[in-house]
Amino acid sequence: MTASVLGFLAGEALRDLVRAGWIAISSVLLTTLSLLTIGGFWVFSTNLGDAVARWREQLRVIVYLKEEPAPAAVGALMDRIRSEGGVARIEFVSKAEALRRLKRELGAQAAVAGMLPNPLPASLEVTPRASASTPDATGALIQRLASMPEVSEVQGGTEWVERLAQFQRLLQLIGLGIGGVLVLAAVLTVTTATTLVLYARRDELDIMRLVGVPEAVIRLPLLLQGIGQGLLGAILALLGLIVGYRLARPGVEPLVSLTLGLPHMTFLSGTAIVTLLGSGALLGAVGGWLAKGRS
Amino acid sequence: MIALHRVSKVFRVGPVKVPALSDVSFKIGKGEFAVLCGPSGAGKTTLLRLLYRDELPTEGRIDVADYNLTSLPRSEVPALRRAMGIVFQDAKLLPGRTVYENIAFVLRVLGTPRPEITPRAFGALKAVGLSARAQAYPAQLSQGEAQRAALARAIVKEPMLLLADEPTGNLDEGIASEIFDLLKDIWSRGTTVLLATHQAALAERLNRRTLVFQGGRLVKDDG
Ligand SMILES: Nc1ncnc2c1ncn2[C@@H]1O[C@H](COP(=O)(O)OP(=O)(O)O)[C@@H](O)[C@H]1O
Ligand SMILES: [Mg+2]
Repeated sequence: MTASVLGFLAGEALRDLVRAGWIAISSVLLTTLSLLTIGGFWVFSTNLGDAVARWREQLRVIVYLKEEPAPAAVGALMDRIRSEGGVARIEFVSKAEALRRLKRELGAQAAVAGMLPNPLPASLEVTPRASASTPDATGALIQRLASMPEVSEVQGGTEWVERLAQFQRLLQLIGLGIGGVLVLAAVLTVTTATTLVLYARRDELDIMRLVGVPEAVIRLPLLLQGIGQGLLGAILALLGLIVGYRLARPGVEPLVSLTLGLPHMTFLSGTAIVTLLGSGALLGAVGGWLAKGRS
Repeated sequence: MIALHRVSKVFRVGPVKVPALSDVSFKIGKGEFAVLCGPSGAGKTTLLRLLYRDELPTEGRIDVADYNLTSLPRSEVPALRRAMGIVFQDAKLLPGRTVYENIAFVLRVLGTPRPEITPRAFGALKAVGLSARAQAYPAQLSQGEAQRAALARAIVKEPMLLLADEPTGNLDEGIASEIFDLLKDIWSRGTTVLLATHQAALAERLNRRTLVFQGGRLVKDDG
């Protein structure tokens, strides 16, 4: 197929889009709506995912000790904990260090604390290895640590991080569910718009078949105008997401950083953007292809 | 060019079988001009539709050029059609395009290189004597002019075979014989022509081989 036919067919596709009129406009808008929904949920879930990853990374198990061990015994204790496996790092926090940290946090009120005898226990801060920071592995580690005779209490766990991760998955599912229904509606509307084009162009298509234009070449403009509708919808959705993100960010970011501990929000990744645009084009192509003519 | 061997065509309309062609055999050589004659309902249109593979025969074998139509896969039909030009009683011009654009449209969708399109389209218009009406829209044409435009569109891709199904059915006798003369011009430049018409008197004046059909049967062939 020569470039001149392709150019001509692309021009035909554009004419078709105009001819399909308001149906084409509604399929573009439905595509926008569906991808906007999916994209919106995607942005949420991306940020939640970031938070989950961050929290997993920062996960600490705090092992409170019954008594402050002698400085010489600390190394041996840490070795025993390390031998439990799944441990990336251990930091010893003495009673005095714990008090220093508390004073630093309390700031002006530190004077009050200074008057009391040090009530804080010594502890070990255990960072599980990334591979071991699943809920099960961490739970097992906590149980083993708690059973050691020197240990009074073990704090920490992955529970709420996991709940966050589950919430993220739920959000993804809801987004895909609503988005999926809308995508289906968008595909059907593209199909309707394309069928309309087929009827508007049936004389031309008859002539094309009569003079021996291959069926693929006859279908190509239909496919192209479908892709055009889908892609246009996807671009509008992307613009909508960018504008929405820009508008919402100043208000939402402090909230997010407060609740999720994320220093800043992120927008969709390049891959996600390409996927979104590609989905629009694919949706339009499917819609265009599904349209049935008389032949 | 064309060979039919014991061809029959039966249309099914619900439970009813309508025989349109019965046991038809004939051959038309390359470069011939043949007239299919017969009253309305004789099977002329059906025969032409079989030749451009719009329908398959119920029985028998049809060959057109190098194509065995009975076993021709669907994907090969466009190639067969590119080798033939087809005109009907109604010109079937696209109303939104000028005469020139109607003809250029065919070349464009067939992938003709751009620089060739204008000269070839005007060449075809000249051949049918319609150069002056190139920029007219179909609604502005007389029926005779519209049929000339349809002929220009059929021959612009330089087919080896031209099928004409009652091209003069709508026209006055004078204009009809002009169209017949035009078909003879096209034939004299090397195209095989097959003309279907019920206008027996006019066809006789063409003085070409005539195949007469009646009730789906070939009843007379003076070739
Ligand atoms: N698509 C069809 N379905 C049913 N019957 C048909 C169809 N096409 C043609 N026929 C019948 O076949 C016979 C021949 O028709 P046709 O080929 O159109 O004749 P002609 O062109 O000589 O007038 C007629 O009886 C007609 O009614
Ligand atoms: Mg007929």
